[in-house]
Amino acid sequence: MSDPSPAKPDLHLDFSGVSKSFGGALALDGASLAVRRGTVHGIVGQNGAGKSTLIKILAGLHKPDAGTLLVDGVSQPHLTPALAEELGIHFIHQDRLLVRSFTVGEALFLGREPRLPGTPFLDRRRMQREADAVINRYFGLSIPNGRLISELSTAERQIVQITRALIGKPAVLVFDEPTAALVRREADLLFGLIRRLRDEGITILYISHYLNEIEALCDDVTVLRNGRTVAALPVANTSARDLARLMIDADLKELFPVRTIARGETVLEVDALSLKGRYEDVSLTLVKGEVLGITGLLGSGAKEFVRTLFGLEAASSGEIRVRGQRVKSLKPPDAIGRQLALVPEDRRGQGVALDLSVAENTTLSSLGRFSRFSFLARRAEKAAVQALIQRLQVKTSGPDALLGTLSGGNQQKVAIAKWLSAQSEIYLLDEPTVGVDVGSKAEIYALINELAEKGAAVIVLSSDLPELIGLSDRILVFFRGQVIRELSAASVTPDQLLAEATGSHIREELAHVG
Amino acid sequence: MSVEAIDLTLDLPQADAPKAQNGGPLAANLLRAGSLLVFALVFLFFSATAPFFLTVGNIGNVIGQSAVLGVLSIGLTLVLVSGGPNVVTGGIDLSLAANAGLSAVVYALIIQAGYSDAVAILGALATGTAIGAVNAIAVVVIGIVPLLSTIAVMNVVAGVDLVLTQNTVIPASSDVLTLLSSGSLFTIPALGIVFILFAIAAALVLQFTPLGLRLYATGEFPEAAKAAGLPVRRLTAFSYVAAGFCGGLAGILSVAYLSGTSTGSGEMLLPVVVTALLGTIFSRRLVPTIPGTVLSTLFVGFLVNGFQLLNLSSTLVSGVQGLLILLVVSATTLLRKEEI
Amino acid sequence: MSEFATVSPAGSPPRIRNFPSLAPRLALPLATIAVFAAFSVVSPAFLVPTNVLSILTNNFALQAIIALAMTLAVTSGGIDLSVGTAVDFASFAFVTLVLAGQPVPVAAVAGLGAGLVVGLFNGFLIAVIGISPFLATLGTLFIGRSIQQQLTNGGNPVYLPQTGIPDAFRFLGHGSLFGVPVTLAVAVLLLALFGLYLGRSSFGRTIIAIGTQPVVSRFSGLRVARTVTIAYGLAALVAAIAGILLTATVSVYIPNSGNAFLLNAIGATFIGTTLSPLRRPNIPGTALGVLLLAIVANGLLLSGLNFYWQQVGTGLLIFAVLAFSFLRGR
Repeated sequence: MSDPSPAKPDLHLDFSGVSKSFGGALALDGASLAVRRGTVHGIVGQNGAGKSTLIKILAGLHKPDAGTLLVDGVSQPHLTPALAEELGIHFIHQDRLLVRSFTVGEALFLGREPRLPGTPFLDRRRMQREADAVINRYFGLSIPNGRLISELSTAERQIVQITRALIGKPAVLVFDEPTAALVRREADLLFGLIRRLRDEGITILYISHYLNEIEALCDDVTVLRNGRTVAALPVANTSARDLARLMIDADLKELFPVRTIARGETVLEVDALSLKGRYEDVSLTLVKGEVLGITGLLGSGAKEFVRTLFGLEAASSGEIRVRGQRVKSLKPPDAIGRQLALVPEDRRGQGVALDLSVAENTTLSSLGRFSRFSFLARRAEKAAVQALIQRLQVKTSGPDALLGTLSGGNQQKVAIAKWLSAQSEIYLLDEPTVGVDVGSKAEIYALINELAEKGAAVIVLSSDLPELIGLSDRILVFFRGQVIRELSAASVTPDQLLAEATGSHIREELAHVG
Repeated sequence: MSVEAIDLTLDLPQADAPKAQNGGPLAANLLRAGSLLVFALVFLFFSATAPFFLTVGNIGNVIGQSAVLGVLSIGLTLVLVSGGPNVVTGGIDLSLAANAGLSAVVYALIIQAGYSDAVAILGALATGTAIGAVNAIAVVVIGIVPLLSTIAVMNVVAGVDLVLTQNTVIPASSDVLTLLSSGSLFTIPALGIVFILFAIAAALVLQFTPLGLRLYATGEFPEAAKAAGLPVRRLTAFSYVAAGFCGGLAGILSVAYLSGTSTGSGEMLLPVVVTALLGTIFSRRLVPTIPGTVLSTLFVGFLVNGFQLLNLSSTLVSGVQGLLILLVVSATTLLRKEEI
Repeated sequence: MSEFATVSPAGSPPRIRNFPSLAPRLALPLATIAVFAAFSVVSPAFLVPTNVLSILTNNFALQAIIALAMTLAVTSGGIDLSVGTAVDFASFAFVTLVLAGQPVPVAAVAGLGAGLVVGLFNGFLIAVIGISPFLATLGTLFIGRSIQQQLTNGGNPVYLPQTGIPDAFRFLGHGSLFGVPVTLAVAVLLLALFGLYLGRSSFGRTIIAIGTQPVVSRFSGLRVARTVTIAYGLAALVAAIAGILLTATVSVYIPNSGNAFLLNAIGATFIGTTLSPLRRPNIPGTALGVLLLAIVANGLLLSGLNFYWQQVGTGLLIFAVLAFSFLRGR
């Protein structure tokens, strides 16, 4: 397939010098991407490395500020979604971009519907027949007639997405984190499919966090870091470990400053807490000055447990005591009244209000502090917000700036500032650095340490294991609704932690017993 | 920190799988079955208690009397489909009732001026379609929220209506009007025939053509429609223009029904909104459909008729409608909460 | 993380943007001034004190109170199509009790209570059950319509006799406070009070936050359901005040007449949002919106144009202001 001459390989996609900035923040800084025809090409990089921006430029959703985009050797300075489709570039999104009230056939053929011959009417039977045929050919299974998208499982929706792209006779297929919501067996099925598609001559772009997948599946890989392409190499002589080294800055260790642990009195006790179908029999104690790490896979119950502590879920049994006082029915206002704070993972949906100003966000949970006879003391409010902006080094034009104009990292600082303003003492941080740039990450880590040193108690829920180990004093591992292990952060390694979280120990034990 | 550490980090799935938001098939089917049952029970109740209710003549009459409301509701259904489920930020056309009023006036004035029915029909349909086009421009080109832009257009249209009629009824009679108001086929009045034919045509377009499918995609998930390469803005504009056409047609029907124009056409607005919204519960997918809207129109028609035959006050009808919409929406909302 | 995180699910509202310039914000004030000036030139009867007072009393006051009620609902993130129902319920209760010989204050309190029932019903539907405000208040409007027709024998007006009207009643309708007609005084007082309160209080901030991003508000510990219920309750209460004043002015209760104020209330509220840099509903904006509509209504009448041109003018004007603001706000 590929041109033997190394000077002029047969490049299907050839991007060079691509730059793009959003509101002053540089998302891509002269990145390049060269994809050989008929290969599986991986793209890796940490969150914020610029993967999504690059893909959106390929999709015609963003226009680059600078750079050249060659598709099939032809420059495409004005790429639009329609043009991308014309060039045969198709995208497989996780499970989005399907109309939920449509049947499988309708979703598959939207935009290129077959008609009954000689009439303007939809040929529903043909739609269904062809859908069945394609799905059967590539996946060896059939999705029952007339099922709605909203009734399908995540994996089934993804099959529909892929089938939709295949019907369009794609030249390039872009898989965007395709296995994130799949179980092992489904993922294996997908890999087999991708290899087959490649063998049929389709060029595949494969974006994933899972380096072992890249290693197993891809021919070449491009590594992005801070908006630049730091490496583009064949996978054959690269290991997952090399890729990881390329993806991160060498001096990440500096991110986690050493903290002097000054243990104080117990502030939070949880006794045999259960939430039906989510987690059961969880107990823990948290003392002042401590950072407690929690991790667990999706569905392990860890997230629901943390939500329960903040009153967002009602436990079905068990007891929560805050500073020795039993909490009966807990709602978020009660939790805040007891100086609890929650920084949720979904920042834009739950953590901060993008359409409110920095000041309005910061004092949202502490309005009482700034009111006299229910009227806001606006000067005091502004001064307090200014002080917090300075303390957390929030980069903003001022307290009155709309929060939506800030970068992700600075938005997250405001999400935390909200609780500093509320003078919270027990912090529940759910994936505190997700979607945050490296610089802000370090600042947020430092802030968490500072909080603990000043006597706050912190629970960090994270799937970023080095982060968790770096931040925590001890770590609880949730597995299938139970705390299966408590580990000291000082002595655990990420791979041990991972083994616990994925339950591989248990599986091995079971295998021996069986 | 070791390199393996980073490697392993990336092996953990990100916990951001979206939760199912839809109520799923159970809730929808329950609701749909329930609504159809209510419809059937009401029908049975009137059949059993009201004399003459279950006669071919009476049923034909109800269909005829429902024609104006039905055609307008079909127009609104198109806009709801292409605008999506959120009424405040999504699609809505509050100018429809006023549109029908003005189109009726145009029809009556043209007839009064001595022109033929053909000219009058063209004039009325053109008026309605033009109003729809203004809405389309306001929503798609200027980008005003439909709720607001169509309120403004409604004011203008109703105002022009008043200016032209001086708030009086303009009588009109012509061959076509006579045919529409007193003609009948198989005991169904001509108005009802027009309504049925138009509903069938609209249903064919919306439920059975690619255009219809694309309108649904545009309203429910514009990003998905865009990703499928659909001209989303043009589709939205189409729905407003088509709704305007429905306004023009409803205007003609109302002139025939009333033998002239009406000074209270604006009062039709909220019934039209309720009828179109209520229609969504007759669909398996809980979306607006033409058959659903027709059922909902007839439901209201039978309700009014049944009350009249039973000598009950027809003033109860709007209360029943209001209660129904609240019950139905509460049921959907609560069922969905259960399932999540 | 998804690479397409910005792809929003269906039905999510468009994001409000910062206005890049001042121009869109000036649309409303400039239009008001321009219209006022134009009518002053065109019609000699326009710029005279009695007419200006008439604009404020007859065209502005009641509509402004009802638009204020609408603004409360819109600020909380919804809409209240049943403001007219609250007006009518209050009016009916007030008239009935006055006719029954009850003292005017008692009748007025009953009127407020009747209006509040409407608001609490809305609040229950929206905050507790979770129905979308548009549908909930639409349902209320329809039920309210039936109830009124049932109570009035199919929709007959309830007149107060020409003689024997209590003085207090007459005062509400036609009296004046320090030379200002009571209706106008009440309207200005309410606007000022709520304007100040919503703009400066923690409650105002809470409503705005909930109206802008309810989920974030819940995660921040704001009491969403309670606040929303209060907002609809307050809206209905304010509308009820308008109902009582309306009845006192015209000495009659006409079933379902409150709806006449609905569309202008919505129009004024949303025109008013163009005054805010973040395009938020705000009471000064709403008041200015109502004033603009009042001036147009009155001015067109005086200009010798046909009475019916009013509505055309109003519609065109609303359209123009919206178009200007939306075009420039992009």
